[in-house]
Amino acid sequence: MPDDVFSVSGLDAFGPDGLLEPDAARPDSERGEKRIHTCCRACIANCGVIATVRDGRVVKLEGDPADRMSKGRMCAKGLGGIQALYHPNRNKYPMLRVGKRGENRWKRVSWDEAIDVIARKLMETREKYGAEAVFCSTGGGGNPEIWSIARFCNIFGTPNWFEPGCAQCYLPRVVAYTMMYGGADPSIADSNALELYDTDDTPIQTLVLWGTDPSWSCPASGGGMVVDLRAKGVKTVAVDPRLTPDAAKADVWIPLRPGTDVAMLLSWIRYILENRLYDEDFVLRWTNLPYLVDVETKMFLRAEVSEDASRPDTFMVWDENTNSARPMAYPYDETLSPALTGSFTVNGRLCKTGFQLLRERVEPFTPEHTARICEVPAEQIVKGVRLYAENTPSAIAIGVATDQTPNSEQAAMAACSLDLLMGNVEKPGTLLQRFRTSGVFDMPNYPVPIAADRLPDEQLKKRLGGNEYKGLHIWYAGHPTSIFDAVLTGKPYKPRVWIDRSGNKLAAVADAEKVKRVIDEMDFIVHMYMYPTSFSAYADVLLPTEEWLETNMIVETCNTLCARQAVAHVWETMDETLIWSKIAKRCGELGHEACRKAFDAEYMGKDLAYWDSVEELWDHFLSRVGLDFEKLKAVTPYTYMSKEDWKSYYVYRETDGKTGLPKGFATPSKKCEVYLESMITLGRTGRPFAKCDLPPASKDYDPLPYYLEPAESPQRDDGLRDEYPLVMTNGRIPFFHHNTLRNSAWMRELCPVPELWINPLDAEKYGLESGDWAWIESRRGRTRGLVSVTEGIKPGTVYMERFWNPETLDSETRGWKEMNVNLTTKADAPFNDVVGTYTLRAYLVKVSKAEGAPEGVWTKPEQFAPWLAQPTAHTADPGTERWRADRAAGVTLDDKTSERLEAVRK
Amino acid sequence: MTNRKKKLAFVVELDRCIGCKACQVACHMENGTALGVNRIQVRQVGPFGVFPDLEMYFLPAMCQQCEDPSCVRVCPTGAIYKNEEDGVVLLDTDRCIGCQSCNRACPYHVNTFSRTRSQMDKCTLCAESRADGSGPACVRNCSGRALHWGDLGDPASEVSRLLREAGEENVYALRDYGNRPAARYILKNAVWRDVFDDGKGGD
Repeated sequence: MPDDVFSVSGLDAFGPDGLLEPDAARPDSERGEKRIHTCCRACIANCGVIATVRDGRVVKLEGDPADRMSKGRMCAKGLGGIQALYHPNRNKYPMLRVGKRGENRWKRVSWDEAIDVIARKLMETREKYGAEAVFCSTGGGGNPEIWSIARFCNIFGTPNWFEPGCAQCYLPRVVAYTMMYGGADPSIADSNALELYDTDDTPIQTLVLWGTDPSWSCPASGGGMVVDLRAKGVKTVAVDPRLTPDAAKADVWIPLRPGTDVAMLLSWIRYILENRLYDEDFVLRWTNLPYLVDVETKMFLRAEVSEDASRPDTFMVWDENTNSARPMAYPYDETLSPALTGSFTVNGRLCKTGFQLLRERVEPFTPEHTARICEVPAEQIVKGVRLYAENTPSAIAIGVATDQTPNSEQAAMAACSLDLLMGNVEKPGTLLQRFRTSGVFDMPNYPVPIAADRLPDEQLKKRLGGNEYKGLHIWYAGHPTSIFDAVLTGKPYKPRVWIDRSGNKLAAVADAEKVKRVIDEMDFIVHMYMYPTSFSAYADVLLPTEEWLETNMIVETCNTLCARQAVAHVWETMDETLIWSKIAKRCGELGHEACRKAFDAEYMGKDLAYWDSVEELWDHFLSRVGLDFEKLKAVTPYTYMSKEDWKSYYVYRETDGKTGLPKGFATPSKKCEVYLESMITLGRTGRPFAKCDLPPASKDYDPLPYYLEPAESPQRDDGLRDEYPLVMTNGRIPFFHHNTLRNSAWMRELCPVPELWINPLDAEKYGLESGDWAWIESRRGRTRGLVSVTEGIKPGTVYMERFWNPETLDSETRGWKEMNVNLTTKADAPFNDVVGTYTLRAYLVKVSKAEGAPEGVWTKPEQFAPWLAQPTAHTADPGTERWRADRAAGVTLDDKTSERLEAVRK
Repeated sequence: MTNRKKKLAFVVELDRCIGCKACQVACHMENGTALGVNRIQVRQVGPFGVFPDLEMYFLPAMCQQCEDPSCVRVCPTGAIYKNEEDGVVLLDTDRCIGCQSCNRACPYHVNTFSRTRSQMDKCTLCAESRADGSGPACVRNCSGRALHWGDLGDPASEVSRLLREAGEENVYALRDYGNRPAARYILKNAVWRDVFDDGKGGD
């Protein structure tokens, strides 16, 4: 191999020669020790961190006690930050493929050259096939922010970007809670449920952890918080087929069959309605359930349609005083006595209240019927719902589990319905809240302006999957399977260029073999990430991105603003938010009109001009609270508002200055919309999420949650269960976020390989013992896992977490075939009707004993030593003049350090 | 108070341990220990019972700072010794010859042999961090705030208070083989299991 050609995980590039030694090449001026407040990004929890930097080298991380949520705690992933930063196999320079694609042979190029190659390919593709033939993707752990990707697509003119998260992770919940009451969803792992972090103050009595396990998904923030709540006597219910730490500590554990959550949720609603455990006064006054629905059109009867956005339409109720349909003036007409239940004829049309329709929907889900579906005793279902409904205030924190089956949107709707029926909204001790914010961010969670309006309407209409799964428009996203199918079939058009920013799409997307077929069809692939993954091996250009310890970002944590600040910088890595700007700039120079104009501040207006450094962008947003990024770094965490002012309860009762009436909820009716009429509008038009009206979906979305039996199910008598008798589920472990850190020596020491959890009854049936290797096989593919026989998994169910093997990246498998549960998951129909979710959990597999571990994988702690942090090239210290100049120029290596590295290499 | 002897040790609230193993990583970082060398290890206890009636908890195991440590008794060179000032069992690496007698003698197998150094390695309650007042790294980073350390010889210490408030019936120690372990475990919400009864430890 010529000297300038390398393979990207080349383990022999640098020998292990020590852990955390200071960099000998550093000038004296940069010596000394500093403790810097920053925020983690090893997952999405943003925990406060104090980083100790000695002689320019990060040597220690510890939790920042001033952090409002993590309170000084850090988890394994975050504490692995130094190992990630100085990993010997970081992507160090931009690289271009040499030789055949997939051969994993690369040459180093300058940033300018890499960006130029990418921009030329983008322009050529746009010219020949239209901008929509380019698609981008993101996702995975350590994702600094997602809007840069969407923004670039909007400006470049392609409607196609996707995340394997989105419909499979979090988006269904965001859609439901946004539409149903207009505030925060209760996901603990997504840094919501903020009510609970002042654990001494909150009056919550019962917390339901539905398909979530904060102990292992976000140990330092949510995990610790739930421990504190339990210690003060708060009861917990855990709904989970596996015995997680939170399930083990719960007062009631409901180990349901994977994929049957909505049946269970509907049974809870039924129980609460039947036993009149709901908050009747709240339901009458503040939900839309008393309003009359035309049974045929499924739409509400309206006495008046409001033209004024500050006033809702006027809806009709059945007044029991007069036995007639009457308009219900907002917020409430005390002279009326609205019926909650019943069928009525109004102007010759059959009408029912929303409440009546909900009751009819949940009617079949008796505890006994539900017990058969979910395979848990009816008494256990009742025990759970009673604790939730009788020991109040209470709340349902619904996690990612329900987002991973085609019944996703309905699970979120049903969970939200429960809390709304109970009146668990905007009062102390509940999770559905509209606490105040700093106003620094225009976009949710991440500040980069998405510039949605820049995408021409005719391009938006080409979004793959965008007409059918209109819920995706809430995040301006495309549908992964629709994009992949278009690549493979050329219909309705063939996407040809793929720019990805994420860990490993071959390990994160369902049906990995299909992903590989898509890769093989692409004209051109760019992969940007902190280190090479399986996906990198098949790319044409690799771009090195920064680890979290190298990046600057604004983080909002409760009533504080925090700075994630660069405490080090290595090699030629670059902040992704800047990379997209550079690609856009070069496209502009090559004649892309919209990309060129995207650098014109006046033209861009509120969407802002593209930037030459991310700090200027953060300065812009921070000026809203009288700060800039340098100042924020000095004062982080900065309390922008007192805790009391921030924690705004009962926002709906505040008076609207314009109308003099209560503000109500952030929904069209200003009531909590348990009967979600606007689902119908969404499906027919894309409103309120799409920027222009779109053609209707193939069928109306249902305004009420419904149960969908998994397509591959042991309760279906279609023959499949005879060959594939077990139900597969997944779930987080505390050492990785999605597909990150499989290359971390410290994490792999703790979890070298993925375990296949199997109940002793099943283990006996299939001849497996703990410590055996097993094949796990579905209709789509097979992979291996290490058997762990445990009572902590429901009989008939097996569990395995996602994995890939960086240690075999140089081999034929590229590390994605050995123990990758996504070789067995299902990317095809049925999809969720609203958001297009495919099947990551609750599908059928069979298991059998394997002869041994896959070839080449590492299982012993010492084997991971080549991945330990190494002495590394440095640029100047963050914040110094040289550092700024370096970054503006795209960063060059310090000559002395290069020499030293050469010495190490020899 | 005047002649009171200091007795530094861990107190662990097991109901608060969520098995996240941040303590193990914090220890690696603080002490630069090699892969495979763990001064603290979180063991999963259970699940016991038959699905779905199960019990499971996590037990962080580390040097128990025994009052009469078997490791000290068997060490041929005196490398392992009990620091009389505070009761902490320490290892003088200049004297350790890597014979692993201590490793075999410890009923809890909580010290580990470092292959890279050919010496034993053990928890010192982060001696350096104690000197600067910050305390053991595992305690500082514990996600569940399950780990505590302090002076069990001082009735006014936080750890002594924790044990008092927990009530005697909820306070456990690993099985005493005559070595009198000092570390204490508080467990209220599950049945204490003597996972070291086979002399091999849990899991």
